[in-house]
Amino acid sequence: MNRIISRRGRMFGIAMASVSFLSVAAVSAGEISVWVWDANFNGAAMREAGSRYTALKPDATVVVDDTASQDDIRAKLQTQLLAGSTDGLPDIVLIQDDVAQKYLQSFPGAFEPLSDSIDMSAFAEYKVAAATLDGKSYSLPFDSGVTGLFYRSDYIKEAGFTAEDLNNITWDRLVEIGTVVKEKTGHQLLDLDLNDSGLIRMMMQQAGTWYFNEDGSLNIIGNAPLKKALETYAKFYQADLVKPVSGWAEYTGAFTSGEVATVPVGVWITATIKANADQSGLWAVAPIPRLDIEGSVNASNQGGSSWYVLASSDNKAEAVDFLKTVWAGDIDFYQKILVNQGAVGSLLAAREGEAYKATDEFFGGAPVWQDFSTWLSQIPSVGYGVFTAEVDAALQAQLPTIIQGGDLDAALQAINDQATQQMQ
Amino acid sequence: MAQARLDRREQITGWAFIAPALILLGLFMIYPIVWSLWMSFQVGKGMNLSFGGFANIVRLTKDPVFLRALGNTFTFFIFQVPIMIGLALLFAVALNDSTLRFRGIFRTAIFLPCVTSLIAYSTVFKSMFATDGIFNQALMAVHLIASPISWFGDPFWAKVAIIIAITWRWTGYNMIFYLAALQNIDRSIYEAARIDGVPAWARFRYLTIPMLKPVILFTTVISTIGTLQLFDEVYNFTAGTGGPSDSTVTLSLYIYNLTFKFMPSFGYSATVSWVIVVLVGILTFLQFLVARDRKIKQ
Amino acid sequence: MTVSPMIAGAAARPVARAFVPGNAWALARRGLVYVLLSVAAFLSIFPFFWMMVGATNTSAEIIKGKAWFGGALLTNAATFFAQVDAPRIFWNSGFIAVVATALTLAISSLAGYGFEMFRSKIRERIFGLLLLLLSIPFAAMMVPLFVMFSQAKLVNTFASVILPTVASIFIIFYFRQATKAFPSELRDAAKIDGLKEWQIFLFVYLPVMRSTYAAATIIVFMTNWNNYLWPLIVLQTAENKTITLILSALTSAYTPDYGMILFGTVLATLPTLVIFFLLQRRFVEGMLGAVK
Repeated sequence: MNRIISRRGRMFGIAMASVSFLSVAAVSAGEISVWVWDANFNGAAMREAGSRYTALKPDATVVVDDTASQDDIRAKLQTQLLAGSTDGLPDIVLIQDDVAQKYLQSFPGAFEPLSDSIDMSAFAEYKVAAATLDGKSYSLPFDSGVTGLFYRSDYIKEAGFTAEDLNNITWDRLVEIGTVVKEKTGHQLLDLDLNDSGLIRMMMQQAGTWYFNEDGSLNIIGNAPLKKALETYAKFYQADLVKPVSGWAEYTGAFTSGEVATVPVGVWITATIKANADQSGLWAVAPIPRLDIEGSVNASNQGGSSWYVLASSDNKAEAVDFLKTVWAGDIDFYQKILVNQGAVGSLLAAREGEAYKATDEFFGGAPVWQDFSTWLSQIPSVGYGVFTAEVDAALQAQLPTIIQGGDLDAALQAINDQATQQMQ
Repeated sequence: MAQARLDRREQITGWAFIAPALILLGLFMIYPIVWSLWMSFQVGKGMNLSFGGFANIVRLTKDPVFLRALGNTFTFFIFQVPIMIGLALLFAVALNDSTLRFRGIFRTAIFLPCVTSLIAYSTVFKSMFATDGIFNQALMAVHLIASPISWFGDPFWAKVAIIIAITWRWTGYNMIFYLAALQNIDRSIYEAARIDGVPAWARFRYLTIPMLKPVILFTTVISTIGTLQLFDEVYNFTAGTGGPSDSTVTLSLYIYNLTFKFMPSFGYSATVSWVIVVLVGILTFLQFLVARDRKIKQ
Repeated sequence: MTVSPMIAGAAARPVARAFVPGNAWALARRGLVYVLLSVAAFLSIFPFFWMMVGATNTSAEIIKGKAWFGGALLTNAATFFAQVDAPRIFWNSGFIAVVATALTLAISSLAGYGFEMFRSKIRERIFGLLLLLLSIPFAAMMVPLFVMFSQAKLVNTFASVILPTVASIFIIFYFRQATKAFPSELRDAAKIDGLKEWQIFLFVYLPVMRSTYAAATIIVFMTNWNNYLWPLIVLQTAENKTITLILSALTSAYTPDYGMILFGTVLATLPTLVIFFLLQRRFVEGMLGAVK
């Protein structure tokens, strides 16, 4: 099929070349282009990194393009790699960890291995594992999705609990606490979106499992942590502790407006919570509850992304050097993006810096960043595989039945069947 | 209508009029489509493709998501298209009355939804369909429901919400075509009928509808295609999942997911695209058939 | 609501008096029409109104559901213009939409006229085929189209956005259906006067079909202005992007600034709205009036 395209395409190319009324933007040397998806978060962090690099190497500039959403970037990347055309792709692109393997395995040779030139042991192990294929690691780990249980300390106190009561508990205990909180304060425990399986994935990862076995085959039926996670998820609904929401605005609205008492979520939510300055001092963070089964820990991950260098880049060497110099070496840089963007990086040494040791009045004067970086080092590594999106879809299809108390084994069977079908 | 037989010069003129369009369509449509037809016989993931014959079609018949998407798409089609076409026609006829006051305001207002940017539209509708959003408050105020509906937490209500949203967005759009077409109808026929004592409903049924038939057919075909390609609403309202429980997943959303979200499986997504083509082909043929049939009876 | 003036208006009309028993019924129906249109207009305007209200409120106020104008308009505007290179982005959107609309109307109306006026077996077959192709989801054609444009070195140009939209089967179909109402006597008369076919098209057909062109202009402009998936794929650099792409990226931030985004959507909606206002009169003037 490729031959047909290229021959026809070339004829077409010759015909069209004369009518081109705007030419392709030229890429100048010494310029490292980067695609990010949030101007105020990863975009701002990357700009800061760029200016630090330019300070060291005045002829190098980092050009950050933040005019696309994450879905947009995925669509562009996938279309171009499928078309076998690298025109206009950047030198560095940001990719979320749980989809990385899909790109690495579908498009072999499209990304540059970084573990040859950068020491990966300096980063959180689970982040490196997500981008490792055949012994080589392809990403420079960026923000961590280390999770915590953000909660309204005023509601918890009103219900008669202390911070210690939330420390290193199980999800089952959280359901008990939530029931009391609802009785005493009238607030729901948490808000959940049936179109999002984030919480279930978080629970799975804290027990060190995912949807797949090590060889990539499905691990659904007989996956005890998954079953326990679904059971816990259903418990929230059956105890009537959930405010049902749909979509990001409603999801964040439920806790920023003070409607629900807790938010179990990745650390990147901090900026959204802190945007409501009038709630300063009313929030606190506890370790994420664990599953009530053997091997589950009070630490997990949700989301988080890393930098990838495209093999097609004309500027590969410089792009790698940039990542190595700033992102793998500059501890001070990590302090700055923590303070300004609330970005918790994955470079383990960063926690020794000033900013990580500071306390935060918004969270009742607790050393939240030290806590997060402690939990970060405890996150179990799991293999995200290449079919996470497919299994997610299969799982979400069963959620409405599960929350009404449907049979879990039947649900797992249905998830397994649909996922098997989708993976062929 | 047009002459039965064209002479040679007219034949050439006919080709000349459609040539620019045909050349462009050949380049930018036929060629990619032929490519996608060829792709639909390929199996594999990412770049590793091989010829699989009818393997993708076999896979379709066993794919629960595809079957759900097909079912949902038909549900949307059967309920939404007639409601929307009916409302658009009603508004157009009402607004075509030159004695009606504030016509410009009404016309603009009803057209507004399809101009409103998708982002504003989906943000607003999501907040209106929220658990403590305006829809639930209104329904509870008039005692139609006792407790709030979780619109996108319930497979049935999620479909209802999507139908409401699309109807809201596209009714004014269809109305434009009818308004433009109504201008082409000779007013004196209406006046004559009115003076002869023909009642309004009969004027609508026996004068307006037949004269609007080409445009009604046009909007019906376009709406059919639009519904079968339904994507924006379900993508934006359900964060791209088509949930809850796949209750709003459509064929187009599924194609998008197969192409961009899942492990790229281009051959299979091309096959699903061709299912839409076949369906539209059948439905369009039926719609033309119905339109032609009526013409003969008259 | 606005009942009394319209009742007066209706009663004054001489034609209505022709049926004495039907008079009350006609009035009641009139009232019903007004109620129906008012409800529809209210429902249609509401989200638009909400968008304008949102543009004057802060993000936190919007999430809390504030439903009246606030004082954050200038802040939102400042944030928007600081984050978005608005003149450039709106120029891009405008250029693409205007050029695409002009070319689409020219090429597609010619084809619609051609298909309807010069019917032949083979052209009917082609037309049927085109209708079928109209239904192919764009996502299925994107990869091959991208390969074509990439090999023509046209990726990241406005040409790559405009060219695939110019021959619109949808608009060809629309013009063909509308041409069915074009009085053939006009064409015959013009022929007797010795006009060539292109002259008939330009000097008879085009003025007569003004309302059709007006409707098509609105639809095509709107489609191009809001076009998303294809520009997303082919426009690579920030300075070439359209407002639709930029707004979509802004909404997907971790902490979206809804006030700023809604300010942007209000701006982005204005051009289509202005075009609608300017052209809507064409629907009223009518074609027969234009001929006489």
